[in-house]
Amino acid sequence: MREMIDPERVLIRDSTDIVRARAVARQVANQIGFTLADQTRLATAVSELTRNIVQYAGEGVCEIADASGEEEIRLRIIVEDNGPGIDDIDRAMKDGYSTGGGLGVGLPGTRRLMDDFAIESSPGCTRVSIALVRRRV
Amino acid sequence: MTTNSLAPIANLLQQHRVAICDEWLNDIMRIWEHSHAGLVDKEEVSRQANDFLKELAVFFNSHSGEAPAEISTNSPFGKIACELSIERAKKGFKPADTAQYIITLKNVLTRHFLRTYSETPVDLALYLRVMNDMLDRISLLTFEMYVETRERIIAQQSLSLSELSTPIILLWNNVLLLPLVGVIDTVRARQFTERLLEAITRYEANVTIIDVTGVPVFDTSVARHFMKVIDAAQLLGSRIVMTGISPEGAQTLTKLGINFSNIISRATLRSGLAEALLLVGRRIELIGGVRP
Ligand SMILES: Nc1ncnc2c1ncn2[C@@H]1O[C@H](COP(=O)(O)OP(=O)(O)OP(=O)(O)O)[C@@H](O)[C@H]1O
Ligand SMILES: [Mg+2]
Repeated sequence: MREMIDPERVLIRDSTDIVRARAVARQVANQIGFTLADQTRLATAVSELTRNIVQYAGEGVCEIADASGEEEIRLRIIVEDNGPGIDDIDRAMKDGYSTGGGLGVGLPGTRRLMDDFAIESSPGCTRVSIALVRRRV
Repeated sequence: MTTNSLAPIANLLQQHRVAICDEWLNDIMRIWEHSHAGLVDKEEVSRQANDFLKELAVFFNSHSGEAPAEISTNSPFGKIACELSIERAKKGFKPADTAQYIITLKNVLTRHFLRTYSETPVDLALYLRVMNDMLDRISLLTFEMYVETRERIIAQQSLSLSELSTPIILLWNNVLLLPLVGVIDTVRARQFTERLLEAITRYEANVTIIDVTGVPVFDTSVARHFMKVIDAAQLLGSRIVMTGISPEGAQTLTKLGINFSNIISRATLRSGLAEALLLVGRRIELIGGVRP
């Protein structure tokens, strides 16, 4: 039997928390066998999602969990907040759309970077779930 | 003589000053010698305590209302209180230590008031209330000053750290190097942008190498900071050579959907340097004219 790593929860309130969440994500990815390239794209994805929290929601949580199974290794991250929510998800997922004067590629870029990506949002709750996945050989 | 209902407090402070001061110092030194051995100079504390009491007497002498007025940081009294807390903040005292100082005085004064005015309970009640009120305000003031001072110290420290972390190096005539190490946040980005633009103007730099080997994560916010610095540098007539983006970093940036336009990018600082020199019409050669 494989040892599973306990899920880690990082509270997101300011930019130092972004750095922490990134570091934890990287470390867990490394521990369960993802490559440097995977760790790098993961760190960027976590950075985007947690910075959206700081920027648009004020505070939230980033949960990092080893969700590997027999067939695959899987690192799952859920980034969640109780902020105002995203008005129009379809637009927010388009390149170049930003209400905060950014480049507007955080969300669409994260989707391109990750192997799995899901987003749901309503006033009072925004939840983005991403994953790195690699088949076992 | 004006009818100053608080003048008796001033009188008591003047007449009992030596005793009050002694008791206060004894109490406070007993506490501080424990927690801050070596940090407190008894003479100094004694001088400050005396000044403090004198100023307190002056205040009650000139103050005729029932409750003390607002104490501003500019009043002579405010100044003493500030001096106290600022100095202690610098020495690393905790805010509670300064509060302790005022509380100790409060206890001493309460004892003296009780003894002196036990015959006239109505006056006693008024004096106690006013004295408490006054010292509470001073407490708040010192606390505020303490926090402000600590914040300034911390801000200064982080400022000097961030300055240390972004040197701008004149590599060759008209060639600058900005090696970036660590997390790029808004404050740092603004600061190195300003300094780089200033350096470009001062050294008439035609080429600026930005080395990002030490930047741990590329994301949209870092990219945006770079785009701004690149745009501004180019407006001032400096080409940008970016070096040190790792293969993983490059992959991540493209997937994310970011491309830096108008810049030359080289994998290593070494090849970036060669490129930069070429742009200003130089080349590194082996002595003897053989190309390396
Ligand atoms: N957690 C969130 N809560 C509320 N609104 C959000 C949240 N995350 C994103 N948004 C909205 O979605 C838009 C797009 O987000 P995205 O991260 O793609 O771009 P951005 O943050 O504006 O710019 P950047 O390219 O710097 O990330 C944001 O401008 C914001 O309006
Ligand atoms: Mg964003």
